[in-house]
Amino acid sequence: MELKEILEHHIVDHVWAWQTLGPLEFPVSKHLLMMGIAALILLAVFPLIIRSRSLALAPFRAMIEIVVVFLRDEVVVPNLGRKGAAYMGYFCTLFFFILIMNLLGMVPFGATATGNLAVTAALALTTFALVNFAGIREQGLFSYLAHIVPKGVPFWLYPLLFPIELIGLLTKTFALCIRLFANMIAGHIVILAFVSFIFIFGALNTALGLGVAPVSVALVLFILLLELFVAFLQAYVFTFLTAIFTGAAMHPH
Amino acid sequence: MEALIKPEFGLAFWTITCFVLLVFLLSKTAWKPLLKAVEDRENALRRDREAAENARVEAEKIKNELEIKFAELKAELSRRLDAARAEGEKEKEVIVEEARRSAALIVAAAKIEIDSQKNEAVRELREKVVGLALAVSEKLLEKHLDPKANSQLVARAIDDLEKADKFLNLSEN
Repeated sequence: MELKEILEHHIVDHVWAWQTLGPLEFPVSKHLLMMGIAALILLAVFPLIIRSRSLALAPFRAMIEIVVVFLRDEVVVPNLGRKGAAYMGYFCTLFFFILIMNLLGMVPFGATATGNLAVTAALALTTFALVNFAGIREQGLFSYLAHIVPKGVPFWLYPLLFPIELIGLLTKTFALCIRLFANMIAGHIVILAFVSFIFIFGALNTALGLGVAPVSVALVLFILLLELFVAFLQAYVFTFLTAIFTGAAMHPH
Repeated sequence: MEALIKPEFGLAFWTITCFVLLVFLLSKTAWKPLLKAVEDRENALRRDREAAENARVEAEKIKNELEIKFAELKAELSRRLDAARAEGEKEKEVIVEEARRSAALIVAAAKIEIDSQKNEAVRELREKVVGLALAVSEKLLEKHLDPKANSQLVARAIDDLEKADKFLNLSEN
């Protein structure tokens, strides 16, 4: 078996069926299933934990609460200001949605939906929409457009800077998309490579393969823990950057 | 491997739909109650802290007031004590003075009494001695009428009288 096939099997989406709707085709795939599971967890488990008064669920409630309070005090309010409280629902959902999709990639038979460019692009597009929506809502359409170019720029530079800033908005979104995607598949690729080492060396010499195995497994374990960390980190980074962009659009100074 | 970097439009559509729905549903069902609970608790904490702070300030004020009052009372007490002590001192002086005066009076009265008693005693004694001398001389005159004895008796009587005289002389001085 080629490494390429293995990678494709483990990282690329498996489309099981196509749902045709006019000229558009919608896939029913493994990543969609994972997203659905994440959505189900968010819709069923989170409200249950938050609303229940049971003592057994109290630690989970506290965990969610700590994250939400952190998002409010460290991410949303410092960037968006007092009015940011209205967007708390968006940022909490974004963080937990990405986090759960990231973590589902580490469950056996799971797949990382956020390791799919379409998913991260869609999430980045919602961020792009939110940034513009929040900016226009806060400043009004014309003021928002006028403030896209930073203050203090000589007026003759406006024709040059306006398109640059517009492109900047798009690149920020694009970078968000690529960052999450690359971070989520990188760990998987490295793990698969380490596991493949065992068989590559085993094909050369059985003893060599057995010798490499413990080292590979140890490294895989390390990368797995790193991935666990990255799952949280990237969910945070995505949310944090979204907050920064939204805050910049809301308060141009 | 092209599938890895070729975004599938359909999946992006599903993602956006799913995410937007999640935002609206979770805002209602999860984040709003959670944030409300957190804010309620924070408000309650803030209220409690403010109440405690107020109570502390109040207690401090009362303590200061009490301290001032206590100091006033202490000053008052020591003032009264001093006054009472001065009063007592004066009273003592008066009593001692009075006692001294009355003692002097008593002593003087006693002296006068003693003098008068002594004078009385001396007078009585002289009368008795004179009487006795007269009686003795009477008796002697009756019983022993010889010139030798008489002269002796007279001599002795004179001695006696002299003795009595000396005594009288002392008392008169």
